[in-house]
Amino acid sequence: MIRRLQSWEGFLFLVLIVIIAGNSWLSPNFLTVGNQINLFQLSIEKIIVALVMTFVIINAEIDLSVGSMMGLSACAFGWMFQQGVDPRLAIGICLLIGVAGGALNGWFIAKVGLPSLVVTLATLIGFRGLARVLVEDRGVSGFPDWFNALGQRGLIGPVPFALVAFVVLFVVLYVVLQHSGFGRKTYVIGTNREVADYAGIDTARHKLVIFIMSGAISAFAGLLFAARVGAVRGDVAQGFELDIITMVLLGGVSIFGGSGTLLGTLLAILIVLSLRNGMALMNITGHIQTGVVGLLLIASVLVPRIRWGMKARAAA
Amino acid sequence: MLKFTKLSLTAALLAGTAGMASADAITLEPGMETDMVLLPKFLGILVFDQANEGAQEAHAELGNPGSLLFQGPTPENSVAGQIEIMTTAATNAVGAVLLSNNAGDQIAPAAEAAQAAGTRVVTWDSPIPGGAGEDVFVAQVDFGSIGVVMADMAHSILGGSGQMAVLSATPDAANQNAWIAAMQETLAADAKYADIELVDIVYGDDQAEVSYNRALARVDSHPDLGLIMAPTTVGIQAAAKAMQDEGLCDQVKTSGLGLPSEMVSYTMNGCAPEFALWDFRDLGYLTYYTAYGLATGQLTGEIGETFVAGRMGEYTIEEDPGREGSKRILMGPFTVYTADNVEAAAQ
Repeated sequence: MIRRLQSWEGFLFLVLIVIIAGNSWLSPNFLTVGNQINLFQLSIEKIIVALVMTFVIINAEIDLSVGSMMGLSACAFGWMFQQGVDPRLAIGICLLIGVAGGALNGWFIAKVGLPSLVVTLATLIGFRGLARVLVEDRGVSGFPDWFNALGQRGLIGPVPFALVAFVVLFVVLYVVLQHSGFGRKTYVIGTNREVADYAGIDTARHKLVIFIMSGAISAFAGLLFAARVGAVRGDVAQGFELDIITMVLLGGVSIFGGSGTLLGTLLAILIVLSLRNGMALMNITGHIQTGVVGLLLIASVLVPRIRWGMKARAAA
Repeated sequence: MLKFTKLSLTAALLAGTAGMASADAITLEPGMETDMVLLPKFLGILVFDQANEGAQEAHAELGNPGSLLFQGPTPENSVAGQIEIMTTAATNAVGAVLLSNNAGDQIAPAAEAAQAAGTRVVTWDSPIPGGAGEDVFVAQVDFGSIGVVMADMAHSILGGSGQMAVLSATPDAANQNAWIAAMQETLAADAKYADIELVDIVYGDDQAEVSYNRALARVDSHPDLGLIMAPTTVGIQAAAKAMQDEGLCDQVKTSGLGLPSEMVSYTMNGCAPEFALWDFRDLGYLTYYTAYGLATGQLTGEIGETFVAGRMGEYTIEEDPGREGSKRILMGPFTVYTADNVEAAAQ
């Protein structure tokens, strides 16, 4: 138990308890069912993509294009809807766009061997440009009721479809990352790709699969966004990639790859969302809110280093 | 200048008669408690701070024991941030959200949810395009009248004849394009503008440096140019600075839509003798009165309802001609700034 609390996840858990206790004490509205659902709903697309981003970063890569892919998928849906394409077919095509975009990233990174930072920075710009070409700044709305309802109304009681999707996706990806061969390969490649190559792992194929997952889930998240707000515009999900990466890093996933867990990401998601929501309920918004989340990230980088330093000294 | 006074006078008379027509204007009872959130497009923009000052003035005047909070997202998080603040305001059961919308129709579901929770949504400056989730839009000016205002300023500055170029924001800015088209219509419709020639329309992308260079280039390509008309606060300031820096102010004047605090020095030194804008303090003030009336149940928000907005007088809720099925309150008219009044407004 004590060992467990000494881990990063244990530390995050304690922080989360403190934040929840503080929020409940300061605002009577915090622990209501409606607010708890809103808390997830307001960031649901980001936290869904954060789950896949955990795979990408543990694999010692980065995907900066996720926000733009969310935008591209949402705008492609809006554009096709305008052209009279059946919305169900449009959803399918958008998911395929996600697969294709992810494959494009993955091919350049895994097969050509370019750094993911550069490739996905390029597609961040490219996907966004395409999204803007499709719908510009005019905005498209008037989607069918069933589509908007998917993003705005409860599916199981008051729990909306997107939150159900998040929970299911978390369980599936948790099993894959922590309890499957694919997961173990993700860690091994992230720790040292050359060693993984020598061990006979097809590292290029593995990376390709991870980037396709990232693209497809981002496209899915973009559609969720379109359903939740009932309209799309060229700037949908712009800048989301930084919030997503922030949550994953705060969860203890090393930017150098090879370490971190999906449980850590989940705890970090809960911390960031509860903190933001608590501050909003107490009328703290804008720059202060951004600043506090930034400080939290700095702390998440510093605290493990300080602890590691103390351990090293104790050993000496 | 004379034309201007006449125009404002006509507008004032029109507003006056509209007010008199409905004798039973509602005077709002002060001192009722309701919490409000003033939600700008994002933080760090002067005109939104001015709107907040106007709203705070009305808040104090009406003696509302509740709170009026100025809450906005950061610029890079504007859309998601506005949705978040709208949602949280409803959770906190505030009486009204005063929104300058930057999220297009994307905010509609959050605004509708807020309305369902009993929060009134009053938009100002920029409405919810489809009108869903919005009680009423407080419009700064009738967007069509801006063409007349710009044509009259050009007439006054050029003394009735001369060449003029337009320096706009971006080629696809819907509001600016509509205003320029309205000005062209006005110029073509009335014989008194016959000697004013519109020689060029260029775009500075609402960036100071691009606008500055485009303004200078117009002088080179049109040696007889007498006026640069910029219907954007960024463009007008950049053009005035360009003419001042190059010592061209005697030859080429600048006009358009500008902020008094940014334009005061150019107006006083003659580079931009006249420009126009609506007063954002008044806009915040009127929006607060509207929201207070709705949130305290003294106004129902029906078309035809007339109420007294403190020092600004009577206003009526009407159908929005630009957005079918939506309601608006028209503030109007423009304030035209000259050397006589710009210093006071720049404070």
